[in-house]
Amino acid sequence: MLQHGNDAERPPRAHGTSGRDSNTSGPGLPSGTSRRRFLTAVAGAGAAAASPALLTGCGTAQAKGGNLQFWNFYGPQRSPDPAINAQSKWFVDMVAKWNATHKTQIDLVYLPQPTYLNGFKLPSAFATGEGPDIFLLSPGDFLRYYNGGVLADLTPHMEKEAIDDFGSALDSRRVDGKVYALPMEIEPLAMFYAQDVWEKAGLSEADIPTTWDQMLDIGDKLRTKTRAGLVFETQPGYYQNFTWYPWMWQGGGDVLDHQGKVIFDSRATRQALALWQDAVRHGIAPRTVPAAGDVIGGFKGGNVALWQQGIWNVSSFKAFAPKYRYGVFRLPVPPGGKYVTTLGGWSFCANAQGRNPEAAAEFCVWALGSMKDDSIDRMVDWCVGAKSDVAPRATALERGAAKGGYDSEIMKKFKDDIFPGGRAEPRYPPVVYKAISDAVQGTMLAGRGVAGEAERAAQSIAAYTKSYKGASLV
Amino acid sequence: MSSVAAQENRRATVATTRTPASSDRPRLSRKHREWLAAGLFLAPDVLGLLIFVAIPMVFSIVLSFFQVSGFGSYEWIGLGNYRRMMNDPLFWDSMKITGEYVVILVPVLFCVSLGLGLLVKQKLPGMGAYRTALFLPYVISLVVVGVLWKFMLDEQTGVVNRAMRAAGFDGKSWLGSPSLALGCLIAVTVWVMMGYYMIIFLAGLQEIPKEFYEAAKLDGAGPWTTFRTITWPLLRPTSFFVLLMSTVAAITGGLDLIFVLTNGGPANGTSLAIFYIYQQAFGFGEYGYASAMGSFLVLIMVVLSAVIFKLTRGGRFDDGE
Repeated sequence: MLQHGNDAERPPRAHGTSGRDSNTSGPGLPSGTSRRRFLTAVAGAGAAAASPALLTGCGTAQAKGGNLQFWNFYGPQRSPDPAINAQSKWFVDMVAKWNATHKTQIDLVYLPQPTYLNGFKLPSAFATGEGPDIFLLSPGDFLRYYNGGVLADLTPHMEKEAIDDFGSALDSRRVDGKVYALPMEIEPLAMFYAQDVWEKAGLSEADIPTTWDQMLDIGDKLRTKTRAGLVFETQPGYYQNFTWYPWMWQGGGDVLDHQGKVIFDSRATRQALALWQDAVRHGIAPRTVPAAGDVIGGFKGGNVALWQQGIWNVSSFKAFAPKYRYGVFRLPVPPGGKYVTTLGGWSFCANAQGRNPEAAAEFCVWALGSMKDDSIDRMVDWCVGAKSDVAPRATALERGAAKGGYDSEIMKKFKDDIFPGGRAEPRYPPVVYKAISDAVQGTMLAGRGVAGEAERAAQSIAAYTKSYKGASLV
Repeated sequence: MSSVAAQENRRATVATTRTPASSDRPRLSRKHREWLAAGLFLAPDVLGLLIFVAIPMVFSIVLSFFQVSGFGSYEWIGLGNYRRMMNDPLFWDSMKITGEYVVILVPVLFCVSLGLGLLVKQKLPGMGAYRTALFLPYVISLVVVGVLWKFMLDEQTGVVNRAMRAAGFDGKSWLGSPSLALGCLIAVTVWVMMGYYMIIFLAGLQEIPKEFYEAAKLDGAGPWTTFRTITWPLLRPTSFFVLLMSTVAAITGGLDLIFVLTNGGPANGTSLAIFYIYQQAFGFGEYGYASAMGSFLVLIMVVLSAVIFKLTRGGRFDDGE
């Protein structure tokens, strides 16, 4: 931190006011031996007070006992956003129901999302053996946690029928056929557009772009000095990579092939890097996202025409701008390319080194992965009630649809048109993520050559994969 | 007379009876009592530094010789992390950016704070309110500051670009351009910190005896001569403090602002060494490697502090006071 207010220089004392001739004994303190006794007593009391704190620091989760802890970034909390309140309630209700019917009790521990994603609390907790018993995990972090040995195997608690019900949604959460995380949602990416802006420019449904060139042309047409024509994510991070992958996949590119060989330096990769670079270079896409990343605010304020965003925004529009007219369409493809989008979403995980891994794993399966109606309905409530997501289980998707959760034009579009061409977010470890992120940032915002950046990233990834030990990267 | 004699006699008796007890418990000399008092006053601070700074630093140095998984496993790799650091272009890029950041931030912050200190020293109506207003950014959470400036520097709707467009200029992508983002980070940091160092300078300025200025005025010295010959030399201890503290703060701080404003981007343009170290430790679980880089950074700071001490003679006046 830059702030260091306790270090302020004190003005020098005037001479002769140091009080040297005063008695060093404090008021009311007896002198001689009594003072030593007093100091000894104070030191002893201090040591006694400090000991438990020091011992606690050295303790382990197992040694602690007590209720299981479920760390998450949804609840319990109160927010002016009704969607967030509904999500918090879903978590609170779920844990309350478990606690009412099970001997092992669970406490919900809420961490604000930025703290959960970028803070040091979660990694520090695991590094010191104090990790939560149950926690939320994104695909990008899956391998690091699996290789660290903290993900409990959920398979023994699951019925085969339930595993089949999840289908390919479990692919990036499995190692050697065993399931280590249960997805709570599927979040596809699409292009969101402002219908009023669209219509004022004389565009109709028929003008919805299906190719990259058409998308750039429309973005160029709709942009003004205060309105971004087309928005891609600009801040470096897992999320930016997540939004960039489909553009690479659409041309047939990838980071690693099925055998784990590095194939990042390809025509498709360079093409995808060039797409974002050209959009920024020609001023069609901004260098920073509008409205400091506030999607609803950006659209409502008339500062955005097209924005690559995820399905989760549907519930935010519903909560904050229910009358705002917007539409969504599939990500356009390059010439000769095939439609793909990325499917994100978080999972429930149980800590294999926690207080009670068996109970934690049982909870995860009870909550989301059982064939019981309760479990399936809970996922439906999450995906079409508290949030706006595609359900990762076939049965939950069916029930959600029957319940009318996908009846709106936007949700129907996501379910029937955008989601079916999706591919799960990859589980690349940090070194791979960072190499790709640097290539995207370097080309998009620093204007570096796409060929050089793709080659450099491929070399970094290849150097890493040579010495990598752990579960399969793909 | 007899009562006086009796009193004297009693005093002598009391003195005689106390003597053996005093020899059993030798009284501390004044010097020792002062040492004891000083020790007691310093003890909490020293203990705090020991527990929260010195011991973690030692642990960090030890950790730098291990490969740490972030999940409790440690493997001794000797100088492996340091070798990796030497060959990591991203680390050296971050060191270069840190160098630029420090070289620009510290002098700018110094001059702005000194200038403000001189301004708010003037006896004008409402000066207390000005001082408070200038100090206010320092007490605001850095996250709030970051969000505030992020909106103000927004490409489409930010007040800065709106003002530029109104004045007939094109708006800039302040936080999205690698050539501008670091400058913006420095500007925001100066805005936050200037109030704090202004107060430090103000304290230093108020310590300078007024007689010196009165004498200079009588001799016909102008403002610049007065500043050059009186204010500047007598501010040496304060200037040293500000220089040292702002350098250390620049090398080790700014994490919150970077997170909110740029997250290290664009294209690693604001990825200072401290951000890169944090990212390796808490983002990637590379605690051993991060400790090696952190230890190296501490070494750099120690060397830099020694250089500042040497060049400024520790802020002492020429006569060694």
